[in-house]
Amino acid sequence: MRGSRPLPDDASEKDRQSFPLRSLRLLLPFFRQYTARLIGGISALLLVDFLQLWMPRIIKRAVDELGSGTATEPGLLRYAGLILLLAAGIAVCRFTWRYLVLGFSRLLERDLRDHLLSHLLTLDRMFYQRHTTGEIMALTTNDLAAVQLASGMGLIAFVDAVVMTLAALAFMAYIHPMLTVIAVLPMPVLVFSTRLLSGSMHRRFKRVQEQFETLTEFARSTLGNIRLIKAYTQEGPQTEQFGRMGEEYIRNNLKVAVVQGILSPFSGLIANSCLLLVLFFGGRLTIQGVITVGDFVAFFSYLFMLTWPMMALGWVANLFQRGATSLGRIDRILQEKSLLEDRAAGPARPPSAGHITLNHLSFVFPGQTTPAIDDASMTIKPGIVGVVGKSGAGKSILCNILARLYPVADGTFFLDGADVNTLPLAAVRGSIAYVPQDTTLFSDTIGFNISLGKENASMAEIEEVARAASVHEEIMALPEGYQTRVGERGVKLSGGQRQRIALARALLLDRPIIIIDDGLSAVDMETEQAIIRSMASYLQGRTCIVVSHRVAPLADAGEILVMDQGRIAARGNHAFLFANNPFYAKIYTYQTTVGGRQG
Amino acid sequence: MRYGFGYFEEDHLGQVADIGLWRRIIAYSRPHWGKVAGSIILSMIVIGASLALPYMVRIGIDRYVVNTTLESSARISGIGRLAALFIGVILAGFAANFYQVFILEWTGQTIMHQMRQQLFGHMLGLDLAFFNNNPSGKLVTRLTNDIQNMHEMFTSVIVTLFNDFFQIAGIMAILFWMNWRLALILSILLPLIVVSIGWFSRLARDAFRAIRTQLARINSFLQESLSGISIIQLFLRENDTHRKFVELSKAYLDQNLYQIKIFGIFMPAMEVFSALATGCIIWYGGGEVIRRHMTLGELVAFISYMRLFFQPVRELSQKYSIVQSAMASAERIFQLLDSRGTLPSPGEQDRQPDIRGVVDFRQVCFGYDAQQPILHDLSFTIAPGQTLAIVGATGSGKSTIVNLVERFYDPDSGTILIDGRDLRSFSTHWLRQQIGLVMQDVFIVPGTIRDNILLERDMDDQQLQGIVERAQLTAMVQRLPGGLATIIGEGGMDLSAGQKQLLAFARVLARDPRILILDEATSSVDSETEMLIDRAIDSTLANRTSIVIAHRLSTIKRAGHILVMEQGRIVEEGSHDSLMARGGIYRRLQDLQLNGHESRGQNDFRQNSEKNSVPTVWQKN
Repeated sequence: MRGSRPLPDDASEKDRQSFPLRSLRLLLPFFRQYTARLIGGISALLLVDFLQLWMPRIIKRAVDELGSGTATEPGLLRYAGLILLLAAGIAVCRFTWRYLVLGFSRLLERDLRDHLLSHLLTLDRMFYQRHTTGEIMALTTNDLAAVQLASGMGLIAFVDAVVMTLAALAFMAYIHPMLTVIAVLPMPVLVFSTRLLSGSMHRRFKRVQEQFETLTEFARSTLGNIRLIKAYTQEGPQTEQFGRMGEEYIRNNLKVAVVQGILSPFSGLIANSCLLLVLFFGGRLTIQGVITVGDFVAFFSYLFMLTWPMMALGWVANLFQRGATSLGRIDRILQEKSLLEDRAAGPARPPSAGHITLNHLSFVFPGQTTPAIDDASMTIKPGIVGVVGKSGAGKSILCNILARLYPVADGTFFLDGADVNTLPLAAVRGSIAYVPQDTTLFSDTIGFNISLGKENASMAEIEEVARAASVHEEIMALPEGYQTRVGERGVKLSGGQRQRIALARALLLDRPIIIIDDGLSAVDMETEQAIIRSMASYLQGRTCIVVSHRVAPLADAGEILVMDQGRIAARGNHAFLFANNPFYAKIYTYQTTVGGRQG
Repeated sequence: MRYGFGYFEEDHLGQVADIGLWRRIIAYSRPHWGKVAGSIILSMIVIGASLALPYMVRIGIDRYVVNTTLESSARISGIGRLAALFIGVILAGFAANFYQVFILEWTGQTIMHQMRQQLFGHMLGLDLAFFNNNPSGKLVTRLTNDIQNMHEMFTSVIVTLFNDFFQIAGIMAILFWMNWRLALILSILLPLIVVSIGWFSRLARDAFRAIRTQLARINSFLQESLSGISIIQLFLRENDTHRKFVELSKAYLDQNLYQIKIFGIFMPAMEVFSALATGCIIWYGGGEVIRRHMTLGELVAFISYMRLFFQPVRELSQKYSIVQSAMASAERIFQLLDSRGTLPSPGEQDRQPDIRGVVDFRQVCFGYDAQQPILHDLSFTIAPGQTLAIVGATGSGKSTIVNLVERFYDPDSGTILIDGRDLRSFSTHWLRQQIGLVMQDVFIVPGTIRDNILLERDMDDQQLQGIVERAQLTAMVQRLPGGLATIIGEGGMDLSAGQKQLLAFARVLARDPRILILDEATSSVDSETEMLIDRAIDSTLANRTSIVIAHRLSTIKRAGHILVMEQGRIVEEGSHDSLMARGGIYRRLQDLQLNGHESRGQNDFRQNSEKNSVPTVWQKN
């Protein structure tokens, strides 16, 4: 499997091929792990079915005795007691199977979810570029729910329906085979129509949900931009647009209603047709004396018993199908391998000198032909290296490669002289502090976010790095200082504040290499200046790579790389580049003078 | 929503018995009373049909199957007639059921749509102060999940409640009519059932609530972990993240197992009640048959009706909880509808054909909340066509000035005048049409670029082309496959931050307002886009009274007059040159922007470029 698996291919085709056998294999260990639970649950279920089938026989005997005039009051009381006893037995068994089998499906869901997460944590950045967070979230919610439903209720309904159908048919056939055949004639129609209609309902319902999401998204963006909406006096047009979306939503809902309107009364229609057939033909047989009145009544009871399994079979078929498809999707993610191979053979000690060497390093995204990084060679020693270039020039990708988020070929990337591919991933990452462009803070306290990489950091340490990142005072101005929660329920921080917190977080790590990937873009020039001043002492003796869209702060860096179309187009100090690189000179002049018109 | 678990909020629960709330909900359905009445009639037909069927079976048994006084052929033909009638009843029931579902859905959706539109329109009309106090996420749930909860109640509960009520009442009536003694004995079970349903509903509601809360926790944790995956990996937090997730997952599992237990007790308990009823019928009803107080057919019918009786009873608890959450939603929706704006507006009658664009602040004081004044005694005047730049640190009150000019708020004291008239004497709608606003955020309406530039306006292609050109969008539009007709936003093409900025300028040009407010973007765009934006600013500012919250020197220098703000006060003002000459705060700010290089000057720099420029700030000291 390893290595031989083709890279991402057409998903729909794969759906059809691999489903369901290969994916079902995924469940085997779970079935094995919970075998006792499953056997216990299904036995209880079978017992319920058996007891339930016994019930009409008691009623039949009582009715027969009443019909023939042989019934006595104590006898009836005995029947009543028996019914109650049976019901108690059914209740106990029902609780047992519910707890065991539905519990199994929940355990399975939990195990799969945990398994999925620990796998997701190992996957590389390329995977996350191919799959959005929303997509993966759908997997862990909708798909996992589908698997859970199929393995819990689906399994139960399936076993139950098969057993009940066979048993009820056997009892009916015992009374009168021909009448049985006639009575169940409409039943297959119910199975197929339920299957057909519930499939179509599922599709229509999905469209309703999509439209609902569109509606939500529209409301969200309108209310989120209320200042602009008002400034542009767009209240009217926006409300109209919202109305149009709402009407579309109604239309989608009505389409569901049509199917629903047919589906639910339809089972009643079929069940009643069976009743009709028994009434007509069974009545005739009773009149002719072929069967007893008790048989006739019992026949009705068995018929009632059949209705639900017949509906269930159609429903279960859809449930299984959806569950298997979902399982296939989950399986596909679990089959994904990180391209960043962790050959943990090397020394576990992180490289500490901060020497970076690139040797003809190229990087091409899968499925693309133009390299994102094209034949980069360089050596970086402790000190400050600035990286400038147009957007899309490869600055950020270079940073990501240096942070070991993308795979590289052997012999192209060395840390302290060792090929990174021979070093354990954790060791490489343990030597790098990284400040990304788009800052991620976790919804916890500010203190937690800063100490993310160093859990046992003291308050003094946290404050020190926050000061270095010029964010300490702003944090203290918040009602709860470092204990303030960020995120949905906490305060909203400005982009600049978030970036500076992310910077503090990286500074706390105390690592030989620090990469700032345009991590101060939302900070104004004055603050950026202050940060750089206060960081200066910290950066002594470390390798610091700074990407910035503003050239001016980089002008003082020991070395500047100019990137263009994935290449390192030029390198040198500010003065050298200003004189020799027209592109660099142009940006610098533009950014430091008025509008570039004089330049 | 994606997770499809309905929506709830814990802060306050709706009261199911709140008459006022019901009256208000019912008021919405009044225009549709015809359809509601129709569906109730249909509901009666459905129930009638379903109850008639066991009765017909009873008739069949009593009159024909066991009736030995009739001849066999007569009995068989009687059964045949009954079967024909039976078919008719089945089909009528089916048709009625279908139409009922459809009419209800239609009515429910229409009512909800109307309510949603009313709510949306109402929200958009509220003041900004309201939006500051209510996060938009919360308001969105009012429009979506709360409305959805109400709809759930309308379609799946209100009518099935009628159905259930008719069914339970109908069954009871028939039972009492057939044999009141047996029916009375069965009624003893009722209190037992009611109590157990009440107990179960409460437990089930709490269990579901706990499950939803836990699921929401898992989802938000996962969402966060996935979007921060590279941080987790770079900071080597994988094990820690996994451990936390397993804990959350375990808690969710426990909640689910608890819910399984509750349902595992309730569902079989109902079964036992049903069996108890059947036992009573066999024992007491059988005795009645022996005593000739009851026919065998009636006994069989009793058993069938009992089964029909337990069907709606089982679902009653579920419906109760739907009603409960719908009432809570209704209360929240009505609360929102009752909130009123606080900015008095003279209404639409006050239109002025043309304004010159004199903006005048006279001793304006303002604070978003009374304890914290933001602006102190602010006065300035901008002549028509003049550009005023405001500079100052974050929190100095720059954006607040914008909010006051747009009349998102009224000043606490002092007045703001346009062309010498108090802002409060204009209708806000008209006023805002006279002002163009360009901010860092740009809202995109779903549609083409053309729609987005024009918004609701109409314009011929030539004019539009001119605007596109002046807003420096030509190059971008030419690159797009569909040109101006390219769909952007949700489901269409994504624009970069810079492109959105240019679009905002095009919007202003299309509206051609007398007054322009430009809140300049601080976030990064590449240098080429920056040049385009500069040109777009040039063409947009021309001949307009402009207030510019400026960050870039190039923009500031364009302004004829500059205000330097600090903590809600004007600390310096004048032209760029005069402020630079003065050597105050403004000078210091500008020096910083040039990063210490300004002392060398550009020309000096070129001469010195051979020498190594000393990396001053990057080194220690």
